[in-house]
Amino acid sequence: MTTVVEPGLRRRRNRLRWRNTVSGWTFILPNFVGFALLTLVPIVALIYISFTNWNAFGAADWMGLKNYTRLFKDRSYRVALWNTVYYTVFHLPLTLAVSLGLALLLNRKIKAVAFFRTAAFFPYITSVVAIAIVWNLLFSPEYGPINQVLSFIGVDNPPRWTVSSDWSMPAIIIVATWREMGYYMILFLAGLQAIPRELYEAARVDGASSWGRFRNVTVPCLRPTTFFVTVMLSIESFKVFDLILVMTDGGPGQSTFVLSQMIFNKAFVENQYGYASAVSVSLFVICLAITVFQFLVNRRIER
Amino acid sequence: MKKRMWTMAGAVAISGALALSGCGGDNGDTPSGGSINLTVSGWSLETTPEFQVLADAFHAANPDVTVEIVEYDAADYQTLIQVDMSAGKAPDIITIKEAKVTHSWATGGQLLDISDVVQALPSNVSGAGSYAIDGVNYGAPYRQDSWVLFYNQDLFDAAGIAYPDGKWTWDDYAKAARDLTAALGAAGSQALGAYEHSWQSTLQGFAQAQTPGADLFSGKYDYLKPYYERVLALQDDGAQATFGTISTNKLTYQAQFGKQQAAMMAMGSWYVATLVTQQKGGEADNFKWGIAPVPQYSSSTFAKPVTFGDPTGMGINAKIDSAKLEAAKQFLAFVASETAAVELAKIGIVSSVTGDAVTAAYFAQAGLPTDDLSKEAMSNHVTKPENPQGETIGAIQTILGATHTAVMSESQSVDDAIAEAQDRFENEIEI
Repeated sequence: MTTVVEPGLRRRRNRLRWRNTVSGWTFILPNFVGFALLTLVPIVALIYISFTNWNAFGAADWMGLKNYTRLFKDRSYRVALWNTVYYTVFHLPLTLAVSLGLALLLNRKIKAVAFFRTAAFFPYITSVVAIAIVWNLLFSPEYGPINQVLSFIGVDNPPRWTVSSDWSMPAIIIVATWREMGYYMILFLAGLQAIPRELYEAARVDGASSWGRFRNVTVPCLRPTTFFVTVMLSIESFKVFDLILVMTDGGPGQSTFVLSQMIFNKAFVENQYGYASAVSVSLFVICLAITVFQFLVNRRIER
Repeated sequence: MKKRMWTMAGAVAISGALALSGCGGDNGDTPSGGSINLTVSGWSLETTPEFQVLADAFHAANPDVTVEIVEYDAADYQTLIQVDMSAGKAPDIITIKEAKVTHSWATGGQLLDISDVVQALPSNVSGAGSYAIDGVNYGAPYRQDSWVLFYNQDLFDAAGIAYPDGKWTWDDYAKAARDLTAALGAAGSQALGAYEHSWQSTLQGFAQAQTPGADLFSGKYDYLKPYYERVLALQDDGAQATFGTISTNKLTYQAQFGKQQAAMMAMGSWYVATLVTQQKGGEADNFKWGIAPVPQYSSSTFAKPVTFGDPTGMGINAKIDSAKLEAAKQFLAFVASETAAVELAKIGIVSSVTGDAVTAAYFAQAGLPTDDLSKEAMSNHVTKPENPQGETIGAIQTILGATHTAVMSESQSVDDAIAEAQDRFENEIEI
């Protein structure tokens, strides 16, 4: 049996659909124009450039996959990838733990809580150049306060921090964690305050210890926040650039040389925009893959 | 066709993004009524008076040509001018701030072949080789700094040690640094014998220029070894500030020498003008100093000491209006002439032209040392390029930069670091 629709009704329905589409587009248009002009077009151009040997001027020859095969053979790329993974693997859980700890600490009713919250947020709003200079002074192997304290408490050979290829990455991770903990603390605080108080009361009535309450109330209720923070942190970690550039400039040797610095060097120092774009695309794919993976894991836990 | 459109889209996207950060260049006026307006790119005009000096001197000699300087931000000069060049908006004459970009600009079709101008330059002009690719010249040098040895005469006197005499090898320099440190320490001074800034050029530049057979493009870097071993020993003996201290405390060479923290320092000749200004302004202590030729690899080059430095030059924008081309070529010939050199010398700029008139004008400035060795150090030397011309020079210097930090921080032995640099050269350069 077929439904017969009057021509007039169909026209009206079409007009309604058209109007809805137009008004929908109108709402997202300002944002979309900005996004398309400033983000989408450059990204598409970047992907195109990664298949060429563009050197900033008109002539760009199509190279096919040459830039990408070169990537796999390039030792510096492997070093940069390894250093980036090293940074992420330590920086991510450390920042997660420290910022959650801070949030738990500052979610109580203690005196001057606003002051402490602000203080923890300070590093995040301080200029990264200033941070790098001050921490470099603190880490100074011979006269720096950190090593003086270490020798005072009896450490014989204190690490040479930013001027040692073994300790430069840990030094960067410490500074990065210190810098970013305040920001993620705020996110966790917001998450903590959204947890209904009744749940804690119910748990207490049921005789749960404070660890039990943390384990069975706080952690599950914080999961959306934790997920968001993990995604943001892993992308931020893979993109780490400014702090390293000012603190160690990738050195000593190549010990803190990361992917985004490789992109910067290849493009703006060596004028190999094609190859630099290929590295950028690889970084993009890695970040995308990690994010998709995290979403899949999250969905499975949710189920 | 399609490919070109995409490339243009890319260029437009990038130039659009950079336009937001506030850059842009003007196209000069087209010639009218016999008078020509040339535009020249420059940077930090307030603190870099050389551009205006050249423009004024040229205009005085050629009243029908007006030269206008287009100012760019100094720190991002290369990026900004590249954007303008690819957008076809760059000035008629392009100043080449760092010689190593010549290759990509020339092969990218941005610079005109000006071999006729450069090959007609007098023989006392140095540095043109830094802008030549396969025998074709793309730039005329107007400025050529080279590295010399600055020494603090007051500290040498206090230590009772003889001044450099222009006949020093690096071993003589190392011995003097140790003796100075010991004698100054005994006299109760904190000053060290020498200061070597953390740049890779402070060491590699000399090794590269002075060692017979050294070649950056060969991929063999053994020649760096004796230079590194000497400096590491000086560092371990406390005769110079360590690399760790310099980089973590962000020491500046101006303060180290100007505030008498070190008795000797090898540095580019641009520092002469800085030191004079800082002594006048009180930023640097008031002490007597002199300039000596840099120590040599062996005694065989004492007569004509070998040092290094990159020139600064100018090239012609490939998109220049053909009516202005002749005037632009005249301007380039002028900036590398003795007349221009004397004008530059008067404001403390070391030009690419050497000669008695230039030296006399340079040392006529107030605050400069007047001894003969200083004059000789500034005028008698062979200056090799720090960045010889080649497509891969940027990548090679990046590799050797990592070698420098690894060795100087003592994270890696000299042999291992050199072996790694050679491996990376094989792996990354010869693809």
